[in-house]
Amino acid sequence: MFSRQNLSTRRILLAWLLVTPVVLWRLLTSVYPFLRTFYISFFDNSPVRRTFDFVGLDNYMALTRDANVDATLTFTLFFTVTSVALQVVLGLAIAELLNQRFKMRNFTRAVNLLPWAMAPIVIATAARWIFHQDYGLINDIIWRLSGERPLWLVNFTTARFAVTITDVWKNTAFLAVIFLSGLQGIPLELYEAAKIDGADGVRSYWYVTLPLLMPLIISMIIFTAIFRVLTFEIVYALTNGGPGTATSLLSYLVYLEGFRVLNFGYASAIAMLLFFIVLVVGVVGYGFLRRAWERL
Amino acid sequence: MNTQLNLKRGIRTTLFTLMVILFMIVILLPIYYIFLTAFAPSGKLFTVPLTYFPRSLAIARFQDIFGALPIARYMLNSTLLATFSTILALTVSLLAAYAIARLDFPGANLVMIGLLASSMLPGTATVIPLFQMFQTLKLMDTLHGLLILYGSALLPITTWVLVSFLRQVPVEIEDAAKVDGASFFPLLWRIVLPVIRPGIATMFLINFIIGWNEFFTPLIFARGAGVKVITMALSEAQVIGARSEFDVSWGNMSAVAILTTIPVFIITLIFQRQIVEGITSGVFK
Repeated sequence: MFSRQNLSTRRILLAWLLVTPVVLWRLLTSVYPFLRTFYISFFDNSPVRRTFDFVGLDNYMALTRDANVDATLTFTLFFTVTSVALQVVLGLAIAELLNQRFKMRNFTRAVNLLPWAMAPIVIATAARWIFHQDYGLINDIIWRLSGERPLWLVNFTTARFAVTITDVWKNTAFLAVIFLSGLQGIPLELYEAAKIDGADGVRSYWYVTLPLLMPLIISMIIFTAIFRVLTFEIVYALTNGGPGTATSLLSYLVYLEGFRVLNFGYASAIAMLLFFIVLVVGVVGYGFLRRAWERL
Repeated sequence: MNTQLNLKRGIRTTLFTLMVILFMIVILLPIYYIFLTAFAPSGKLFTVPLTYFPRSLAIARFQDIFGALPIARYMLNSTLLATFSTILALTVSLLAAYAIARLDFPGANLVMIGLLASSMLPGTATVIPLFQMFQTLKLMDTLHGLLILYGSALLPITTWVLVSFLRQVPVEIEDAAKVDGASFFPLLWRIVLPVIRPGIATMFLINFIIGWNEFFTPLIFARGAGVKVITMALSEAQVIGARSEFDVSWGNMSAVAILTTIPVFIITLIFQRQIVEGITSGVFK
């Protein structure tokens, strides 16, 4: 009896010994800095002015008056909703495409992964050239079709779509891969049963495929939405948040305020706002997910 | 009747083929365009309309960027950081994953949930204190400092995926080895590791790609030429020989984009199936 207890204590000790490196590493580089950001957000902290003064909620009050924050939240909403919607719809379509039998299917599946594998910063920087008014690829095609050359990155609306299109091009592959794997998990018998009931093609997709994929779709919407809110590179390299603040996102604002203006206190308050939004998206999304599971 | 059916099927096949072609064009044409820009002979870069099938290609852009920037050094740094962060993250994640999947201990779930929650903390919400810590600890502009951050970002997902791989492997082999008196590290090395090698290989590929593509972390924490990485050369290449801030060299930028992209394309095209398995195992299991 004594020796068995001894064994289990040893096992628990070993287990904690084994998880310690990972836990400690994350605590020091993620959890502690995050708590510290929360702490700094109550201070006027600037390495330039050499200040570290407690200011209470001043930074948060300043957030509510900041027009840049307003513009950023507007674009964050536009970008998240548009990009997630396009990615989910296109991701489902591509997954369906890649699930069919055809020559070169493996090659097509590999090509689908290429945008996923490319660095976001490469795509964002290259996109500035691709959206170039006179010599860019997109305007060359549009010009051949219509004779127009839209000023993509100069106008508010088109700049917003340029950022969204770039993001969709880069990230839809990921969703397509996930959805494809979801499609492959649906038992064929269900389609045969639907066929006997007279449903095929579009109707069996609507009544069999979509309901079964729904929990997966919802969890991917949450996941994708959170990463849209966190997007940095595309805005950093493609538009610099412009024209004006038309395509500014919160991560970019934190970067500007923290590492260009060097206003750590205020930047930390923006970062906490960012975290709060991610939290809300996660919690609300989780609620939807649970309801989808219950309905299944 | 039969011909009508054949016609219908023919139309569907044609439509389907058109969709596949359209999909391929949307993915490949922008990549091809960057390739063209990188290899365009000088003077042939700005043409209206664009020339999609150029008569000649030139490597002048590549000579320019290698001449003006320490590109080889950047690529070496990218390789070192991606490789060693991957190895480090895999090693400690494997230890943790083994404990979570095999040693039924109080707190195992807490560790899993904690890792997932910590991966939801945005990088931008931790960067300012990390910046201050790195200055105090003299870790700014050092490869080992960057390694700490690169590795950290990989831990949550890697641990989750390895746990899911371990849970699919039957424990009996390990139990047999334990009865034979194998102690922990030999057990891990000789019995566990070979069994989940596919999982490790998959996570190695994915983590290498993530590390190679990293940009935000080096942007903040690597400012000296000795520690900069290839993704940072994109903006530097644009201003080689520039006369004003609006004088952007798209050719040079494209050349760096090609250099940055070739390694990840090779990995992706060769190991497509393993990568897909890795991506999906993080979501499904």
